[in-house]
Amino acid sequence: MMVIWAAELRRAVRSGRALVLLGLYSMFSALVLLVVGFVTRELQGQVNTKLMEEGADPEAAARAADQMHQGVLGFLTSNDTAMMQALSQVPIVVLIVFKLTLFFLPAYIALMGFDQVSGEVGPRSIRYLTVRARRSSVLLGKFLSQATLLLGLVLVIDLAIFVYARILNPDFAFGVLAMNLLKFWGATIVFSLAYVALTTLCSSLFRSPAVSLVFNFILLFVFWLMDSVSRAVEDTNPVRFVRYLSPSYYSGNLLHPQLAEFAGSGAAYAAFAAIFLVGAYGVLRTRDL
Amino acid sequence: MSELAIELSGVSKRFGPKVAVNAVSLQVRQGDVFGLIGPNGAGKTTTFSMMCGYLYPSEGSLKVMGVSPTTPGALKGRVGALPQDAVLPPGWEVGSLLMYWARLSDLPQPEHEARGALEKVGLMEAWKVQTQALSHGMAKRAAMAQALMGRPPLVLLDEPTAGLDPRIAAQVRQVIKDMKGTQTVVVSSHNLQELEELCDAAAILDKGSLAQAGTMSELTGQGAEFRVQIARGDVIIPEITSLPGVIGARMEGTDVLCVRFDGQAHKAEEVISRTVGHLIQHQTLILGVSRGRRLEDRVLQLL
Repeated sequence: MMVIWAAELRRAVRSGRALVLLGLYSMFSALVLLVVGFVTRELQGQVNTKLMEEGADPEAAARAADQMHQGVLGFLTSNDTAMMQALSQVPIVVLIVFKLTLFFLPAYIALMGFDQVSGEVGPRSIRYLTVRARRSSVLLGKFLSQATLLLGLVLVIDLAIFVYARILNPDFAFGVLAMNLLKFWGATIVFSLAYVALTTLCSSLFRSPAVSLVFNFILLFVFWLMDSVSRAVEDTNPVRFVRYLSPSYYSGNLLHPQLAEFAGSGAAYAAFAAIFLVGAYGVLRTRDL
Repeated sequence: MSELAIELSGVSKRFGPKVAVNAVSLQVRQGDVFGLIGPNGAGKTTTFSMMCGYLYPSEGSLKVMGVSPTTPGALKGRVGALPQDAVLPPGWEVGSLLMYWARLSDLPQPEHEARGALEKVGLMEAWKVQTQALSHGMAKRAAMAQALMGRPPLVLLDEPTAGLDPRIAAQVRQVIKDMKGTQTVVVSSHNLQELEELCDAAAILDKGSLAQAGTMSELTGQGAEFRVQIARGDVIIPEITSLPGVIGARMEGTDVLCVRFDGQAHKAEEVISRTVGHLIQHQTLILGVSRGRRLEDRVLQLL
């Protein structure tokens, strides 16, 4: 497994694919940063202008900015006071990018790894591996190489976002930056592993990489629909329980300062990752290659 | 350990309603070069794939080097396989890919093994070449090289010379001959002349079923018949059949005498010499003598 992991990772890093993926991820993050930055500045500017017109003092402008910050923070954390307090020093733009990242990351992961297994089963190159290694080792090696690549890409992008936020907000202290960078990175990784495993499962189900990709997107859409619909229904409707079957439901507490809350989310993602991986192994173990 | 390298008992493989292999039973002895023979769609590659653990049999049991090939990790280090239609993974240099696979097989000196195997198939110049840039013949040889690394006790080769130019094909045949006796080799091929030259034993498959299996001598009748090509002169059949050891004789066309003999009780060379001596004594001129029949003739007769 370790040999396959190292070899697949080396191949991915040497190929242009890692660069393309990095570029794609950077472009999306940069777009979000620019849009969110622009909207925030515009809003703040309008509020300041209004306050000046009404003859308010500079402290009132600062208070209004703080209220706006708290409002957005409350929206992003579902008004969880512990989480709001823990994230109060993080620039709002970073939080918004993080939230949006969690939305697009599953699709990005699907694009990254849709052919990890199907790309070898279709042209049968997997046959060269299975006479040398267990199918479980092949699967885990490929899963780990995808996860490691993602780990690196997310770190690079998160670092860039935090540095950008530091440039925009000189009061964003280095210590707070470093601690939150690790926290955000860790949360993204915990979240991502379940989706990397889902992509591994989808890739194991089909011989054609294109079909794997489409099926992966369909599943992501179904998960999103399950989460959205079950949130929209009334509290008495049994459909509300469907949300527990969607991985995205558990993303809310990934940045929670209380260990129990974070561990609950983390355990849910670990369980999803395990289920998807066991499913992928079950498929690969029993199929003709 | 059993003397059998491979043992198939009533093995069948179905793909939906289609029966690709039907209740095939055969045995491959250790150290033999064994041929899988048959026309397109006979079930050679399916049988080969089950031996390598790529396909699960629908019925029956397989033992490869004493273990079931579908047991996870069972074939590691025991089998080298050249699958017929498996594409080499893209994005690798040939040398790096072979070293990776050698590491995966736990071979102690991956680079040494990779270079040695490439040398055997005459492809050292491709060490730094990307797999997607290889020609068909080069890719085939690179795939062959990976099957040879580490000198596994069993080597399974599906169409090893298909698409190779005659010089390289001869080189590959020599590699197989060199393995004879020390490694067991299973070769699946359409090239009957090649199989006749290489194999100690073979199985002839047709429409998924086993038509015949045995040693090459049994299949071609080398121990039971020979042919004499007559240039000029008369052959008196009753006189030939009365010679010691001869069971029967007949003319095939006007100039080929086919003689069947009791290969158990009499040595082939004795019966052949006796018959040829008799013909020469009777002023019959001979162009040549050949033992048995061509494998191709036997296969065409069976299928």
